Amino acid sequence: MSSTTTQSGLGRARRGLAPGGSGTAPGKRKSKLSAQATRTFFWLLLPSVVLLVLIHGYPLIYAAVQATHDGNLLQTGNFVGGQNFATVLTSPAFWKAAQFTLWFTIVGVFGSWLVGLGLALLLRTKIPAGGTFKVLLLLPWVVPIVVSSTAWNWLVATPDSLIPSLFRNLGMGTPLFLADPNLASITVMVFKVWVSFPFMMMMISAALASVDTTVYEAASMDGASRWQQFTQITLPLIARSTYISWILMTIFCVNDFPTIYLLTGGGPVNATTSLVVLAYRTVFQDFATGPGVAIAFLMTMTLVVISVILYRQIRKSSVE
Amino acid sequence: MSAVLHAHPESGPTLGTDAGKRRKTLSEAGQRGRWWRFAAILIITGIVLVPIMVTVLLAFTPGPNSTATGLTFENLSNVFSKTLAATWLKNSLVTTLSTVVVSVAVAAPAGYVLSRGRSKAVSGYSLLLFVMQSLPIITSVVPLFILFAGMGLVDNLLGLTIIYVGSTMTVATWMMAAYFDSIPISLEEASWIDGCSVFGSFTRVVLRNSLPGVLSTAIFAFLLAWNDYLVAIVFLRSNEIFTLPMGVQSFFQQNATDWTSVMALAVVMMLPPVIVFAALNKYFSVGGIGGSLAGR
Repeated sequence: MSSTTTQSGLGRARRGLAPGGSGTAPGKRKSKLSAQATRTFFWLLLPSVVLLVLIHGYPLIYAAVQATHDGNLLQTGNFVGGQNFATVLTSPAFWKAAQFTLWFTIVGVFGSWLVGLGLALLLRTKIPAGGTFKVLLLLPWVVPIVVSSTAWNWLVATPDSLIPSLFRNLGMGTPLFLADPNLASITVMVFKVWVSFPFMMMMISAALASVDTTVYEAASMDGASRWQQFTQITLPLIARSTYISWILMTIFCVNDFPTIYLLTGGGPVNATTSLVVLAYRTVFQDFATGPGVAIAFLMTMTLVVISVILYRQIRKSSVE
Repeated sequence: MSAVLHAHPESGPTLGTDAGKRRKTLSEAGQRGRWWRFAAILIITGIVLVPIMVTVLLAFTPGPNSTATGLTFENLSNVFSKTLAATWLKNSLVTTLSTVVVSVAVAAPAGYVLSRGRSKAVSGYSLLLFVMQSLPIITSVVPLFILFAGMGLVDNLLGLTIIYVGSTMTVATWMMAAYFDSIPISLEEASWIDGCSVFGSFTRVVLRNSLPGVLSTAIFAFLLAWNDYLVAIVFLRSNEIFTLPMGVQSFFQQNATDWTSVMALAVVMMLPPVIVFAALNKYFSVGGIGGSLAGR
């Protein structure tokens, strides 16, 4: 840009800032800038749009095609309409997986929230080495899931593993954590809570950090008990963050593959098969592409609804 | 605060013993509370970290066929000399670092538009990104598998990287946009007045002041790419193309009894994210993804 334009630009802007200055010049300047901005915005957004179309848009459309066709990974096959969806929706395996996904999600969301909330409250007060504990408690979330599932396997998989041995030595029998269907479901859920609570802890800690502590002093002067302070002050103040973290965690739990697959592979006897694991196995182990993609599609539609609700909520609360 | 102190400079001494006593008991109660909490958090942290401590301990414990005693680096050196661990580590590093760089390069400009643009199209795109990040990756994996197979991108680190960039860019864009929101537009206006173009003010003013935002986005992309298992298990076929998660997993299944070697490789795999987090934790402490989504 030449120095003349710069100077005139500067002059116009100055005039524009001055109260009662001539209206046309700053307006022109603004529209010139906004035309330039529109052009720049287009180029800045382009790589993102291309990737979104390639990695999200195209696959989603193609998935819709696959879900309505028979065939396999190599050939799309013939159009069969809603037949794949019918097959899926009438199979007991789908409903069993849906049920497990529901429980897994409920326990995952509220379990990790309760643990995260408790720890966030504990860590809010001044504790010796509090910062160190905060970082250490993030480790379950930071350590790769392949690593932690390996460790959990070592701890619980066989009757001679550390934790079953502990139970035996305490005279409580030898629980088969991954071989018994009920125990395996519980183990996977506990593992999920172990992996996820740091995320909740971070979310709640961030929300708590913005709370003005003088509110509590005023409340305790007014004779509010600890429990009243918690339910009347703390919970409402972290409500928005809590709500957002619940829905995010719901999305994380419904979509979760490795936590379940690496620990149990979906077994024993499909007891821990979630919808994602079922979709994966239907496509890549049973080679039934249509039904597998149909399962993924049903999940997708559910999650679109959930995330649109969340998006609205975020927009609403950021306007307030 | 200081005004109060100045108004009653003598308040401490004149109130005398009674107030002093009360303050003492209060702080004593605080002290006791602190130690009670310290003990609680110590025990909880201890229990929570058992799986990680077990991993580290086993990694340095002599294996079943070893003559070594005490803690040893033997498992680590064995894993690197006798398996493809070095190749897996290299594959993981290459894929993850490319993902981080390209994700930030795509997400930062897009995030800037999301933050500064005030049109229907921009907010529509914002919603689209948000919905896409919540969809199960398994839905796109099957069509992408077919598309990439035709392009020779299956069993290929470039193919893996493209998918990682695609799946990180949605949240990464939101994270960048949330950070840019915190940079006052008046800073840019000053640079426009000085004759800077919109692109110029983005790179020279906004981006230059966004290191914490860029770092937290980079950490997010790093964790996602480094930890991914689902995309890797679908797209990687041959041993020498494996990334570390696939390596650990293949190794674990083949040598289920040789726990010490598995754990040695597991420690190698968990070290980079732990180091990144320990070093850059403060940039992520706002709650990471959640924080940036909540912040908008």
